[in-house]
Amino acid sequence: MPRIPTRTILKAYQHDPLLPLLLRECRSLESAKNELRWLRERALHMVRPASGGERAVTKYPVFGWRGLLRSMCLTRSRGMPLQYILGDQPFGDLDIKCARGVLIPRHETETITIHAANFILDRMLEDQNGNKGEKASLHILDLCTGTGCISLLLHALLSPVFPCLSIVGVDIDDAAIRVARENTERNVRLGLLSKRALSEVSFRRGDVLQCVRSRAAPEDMANIIGPSLHALWSSRCDVIISNPPYVSPAEYHDGTTSRSVRIFEPRRALVPTVNSVLAPVNDNDVQVGDLFYDRIAVLMSRLDAKLAVLECGSRLQAVRVATLCRDVLGRYDRTGKAIVDVWPVTDVDPAAHAVFIQRTRSQ
Amino acid sequence: MSSIPWVCSQCLARSTRLVRKPWLLFPRRALQTITDSDLSPALLTRARSLAKEHATLSERLAISFDPKNAKRVGELGPVAKALTEWNNAKKSISELKSLLDDPVAETELRSLAVEELETTQATLTSISNDLKRALVPRHPFADLPCLLEIRPGAGGDEAGLFAFELLRMYITFCTRRGLRSAVIKRELGDGTTDRLSEAILEIEADGAYGLLRTESGVHRVQRVPATESKGRTHTSAVSVMVLPSFPDTGGTDGALNFDDPSSDYYINPQEVRTEKMRASGAGGQHVNKTESAIRLTHVPSGIVVSMQDSRSQQANRKKAWQILRAKLAEARQEAREQELVELRRGVLGGVARMGRGDKIRTYNYGQSRCTDHRSGLTVHNLDDILEGGESLETVMDSVRSWLSDREILAIASEIPEKRQ
Repeated sequence: MPRIPTRTILKAYQHDPLLPLLLRECRSLESAKNELRWLRERALHMVRPASGGERAVTKYPVFGWRGLLRSMCLTRSRGMPLQYILGDQPFGDLDIKCARGVLIPRHETETITIHAANFILDRMLEDQNGNKGEKASLHILDLCTGTGCISLLLHALLSPVFPCLSIVGVDIDDAAIRVARENTERNVRLGLLSKRALSEVSFRRGDVLQCVRSRAAPEDMANIIGPSLHALWSSRCDVIISNPPYVSPAEYHDGTTSRSVRIFEPRRALVPTVNSVLAPVNDNDVQVGDLFYDRIAVLMSRLDAKLAVLECGSRLQAVRVATLCRDVLGRYDRTGKAIVDVWPVTDVDPAAHAVFIQRTRSQ
Repeated sequence: MSSIPWVCSQCLARSTRLVRKPWLLFPRRALQTITDSDLSPALLTRARSLAKEHATLSERLAISFDPKNAKRVGELGPVAKALTEWNNAKKSISELKSLLDDPVAETELRSLAVEELETTQATLTSISNDLKRALVPRHPFADLPCLLEIRPGAGGDEAGLFAFELLRMYITFCTRRGLRSAVIKRELGDGTTDRLSEAILEIEADGAYGLLRTESGVHRVQRVPATESKGRTHTSAVSVMVLPSFPDTGGTDGALNFDDPSSDYYINPQEVRTEKMRASGAGGQHVNKTESAIRLTHVPSGIVVSMQDSRSQQANRKKAWQILRAKLAEARQEAREQELVELRRGVLGGVARMGRGDKIRTYNYGQSRCTDHRSGLTVHNLDDILEGGESLETVMDSVRSWLSDREILAIASEIPEKRQ
């Protein structure tokens, strides 16, 4: 990490004495200024609630808003993510609650989710021209859901078009499931989600790696989405969307993953946790990073899903995942054809990519 | 007490110049004196042709409904109405006159007729003014809500300070008029709390553009700034730009629907480069960036809009698009107006357009006065103006009537040109 020039620190201090603290983590004056503004707005809001509501509960000792702001800035300077300090993160039009132990939703995930929703709408409209009956309902499986952000944003974007929507978010972590349920209620309460979300979006605890063995059986579906929904879905799933842990152990330690993320965000949400019994013992580090994609591809072929959207960490990983998915799908069923696309989120190369897998059944 | 103070002969000579050339005393008043009851024949023929069109269209509308026709009829309605009123007034005047000329009429009747004639003459003046107003085509954006952009110009810190006061003035003005307004972008100067470097105020009420569009231009301030130690008066400038704000979903109106490629205000998304201002390097789960800034660049025109106020990238993008659309629409509208001005120049012999680069208003603190340079109106109640009070409204009204006079002149001069 390059050293911040003294000149910049001085300039920051002249702007606001608290700014050099934020500069430690933000590294650039512009973003430090923005963060200071957001923190100040929040501090003012917490001390003097605008709409006369009761004082927001805070873990910081409150001595007026200045003291609060100062302690927030100090916490931030130690690397605590801004979203954990403020307790929320905007995601699309939604407001997602963030808590320690659950991965913070990223901007890339937001962009991919919106793109996926548009993709689904386009494709379903095409389908609608062909056969009208099938469009009415849509079943979506969100694996490794975390805060539930993808499920909820998809519901917000798709519910105006689909009269019947069913979205299941699966995560291994109990805390994540709790936060995801809280987020559903929170966004319905704020009026950002329609009331339908309460019944149509559900979250379940499930271990994707354990449920799906390489020789997947039809009961996998029941394992993952639960027996009651399994009956409802009648073994049909239209879309699988996932932002699984994709950081390889090497990337986790060699500085690609930033310090703040390593210290404050859960490792289990970033690096696939290798269970020696299930994963083939393999020293190849890259394969550990891609562990989830293999299972998701298997699941996709078992569930006969029409579309899968997978977030990947880089272009290289996306290309690897694309070949892997082609292999798996080709192995498990020979009747259909899979179209695999790599979609770059930004123009910058090392940034996140998404893999879109579309299956067309041959007649 | 007949002692006259001594006056330098040169000054005396100079003061007689004003008497000799009275137009020097009231240079702008000349424009507002065209509110007599006579209509120029060119305007009258135009009004008649428009009224005829209105009649034929409403006949057609009675048979079958066509939204395009209905809209046109709605537009022409005021013209037709004003013209019938004008015709009625003219007719009654001529009747009364013939009655007066009639030698056999009784004296009692005659005095009644004289009275009647006076009142009709008075109403005729207002009716013909209405007719002129109706003839001026409505500005295409007049019914839209607007964005008001304030940027300090020359004058350093002082300009920033005054820009802040202008922002407050417009906010209080909107509150007083009951218009909903929201500051969507506010950037302060380095390390200060009262020096603006840029602000955008959104006024959500329909028709706000028509109300505020006369505010576009350079506002000049003359005062002793708070930062001045020697008590000198400074002059600085703040530029205000009023942009139309388009509805989010695109209206049903074809001309203003920016999603429709055939519309004049259509922006091809391919021509807009979106940049998320963030450092390169690994993204996704590897890092946790809080930067949400968005910068849009419209490549053909080079217009750049950046937005970073919100933590949500989506919200920033939406606002940036709104501002970009507004700026482009304004630029295109201005280009069209410029074309018209080129056409009219030969006839009018001067500029018939107020550019946003021109100084439009001066706020002088020393004399507590505010002068609008277009209408020539001076108000000596600066405090009330800066509080967005009645006086500001008076100034704005005077500019609006000045503007419509200009437009009438332009139309009147345009018609003979078309005939040639």
